[in-house]
Amino acid sequence: MENEGKTVLITGVSKGLGIELCTKFLDNNWKVFGISRTKTEEIIRLQKSYEDRFSWKSYDLADTDNLKQFFNELIDKEALNAYVNNAAVAYDDIITNVQLDPLIHMYKVNVFSPIMLTKFVLRNMLLHNVMGSIVHLSSISVHTGYKGLAMYASTKGALEAFSKNTAREWGERKIRSNCLVAGFMETEMSSSLTPDQKNRIYQRTSLKIPTEKSSVASMVYFLCTQEASSITGQNIFVDSGTI
Amino acid sequence: MESKLLEIFNVVLRNRGRSEVSQLTENTHLRSDLGLDSLDLAELTVRIESEYGIDIFEEGIVNTVGEIVNKLNALK
Repeated sequence: MENEGKTVLITGVSKGLGIELCTKFLDNNWKVFGISRTKTEEIIRLQKSYEDRFSWKSYDLADTDNLKQFFNELIDKEALNAYVNNAAVAYDDIITNVQLDPLIHMYKVNVFSPIMLTKFVLRNMLLHNVMGSIVHLSSISVHTGYKGLAMYASTKGALEAFSKNTAREWGERKIRSNCLVAGFMETEMSSSLTPDQKNRIYQRTSLKIPTEKSSVASMVYFLCTQEASSITGQNIFVDSGTI
Repeated sequence: MESKLLEIFNVVLRNRGRSEVSQLTENTHLRSDLGLDSLDLAELTVRIESEYGIDIFEEGIVNTVGEIVNKLNALK
């Protein structure tokens, strides 16, 4: 069967895009290792539907100290073909109000843990001679400024730089790294915005509508497949054509 | 020199299309004698960690086979 034995690690799987991503890979016969803080109804549903191919564990990525042990327990020496860094928290405020503690918390979840997980994933791929693929979820806010998102956008900008350099460093081992630059989606992450704020954001896109989660998930999936074997070090925009 | 360790070195050399070695001495230099670069050393590290449970580069740069053997012996 196509893709049988292929494995992917996905973070932030409890809701929204994370569920969409898991479903996409599972429907295509991949085994999914999923991480999230909370166990939602959707997680339970996936566990029931894909008993043998969906392995989920709870972890808070703000805990940067126990990540190695957690990773080893979750993956348990299996070879990984792909890593999708989807987990993120958003700390929104104007810059004159920024507080260090929530900023550090956001950097731990959005940047430090993904960098450490990339370390473990690369080492896993080296051990198993896998020509794997890494995809980081970035945000259009990196490229088009939005009031209140400066700190959040800075974490995603850090990931884009990290991904570009991962691609350069590990390209000769045929390990690829790309960023998917997502536009604003109707997810919990954007739920704090008022309808007026959302409309103004959508008016700044060519399609004048929110970015579809399914479109993002399909592109992430494509980037993890052999069909994308010549694509690395790129930022792929899936953002309703933000202008 | 344990044969297990020699085999790990040869797996890394094979993966890079280089000829295998029949023996290693404590003074064998990882870069200048075996021609390993930083990515090869990363692969060597994960293979040794998988076999022996120790990250040989965790506390800094290692230059010779002897330094690796010392770290492995310290485990015993």
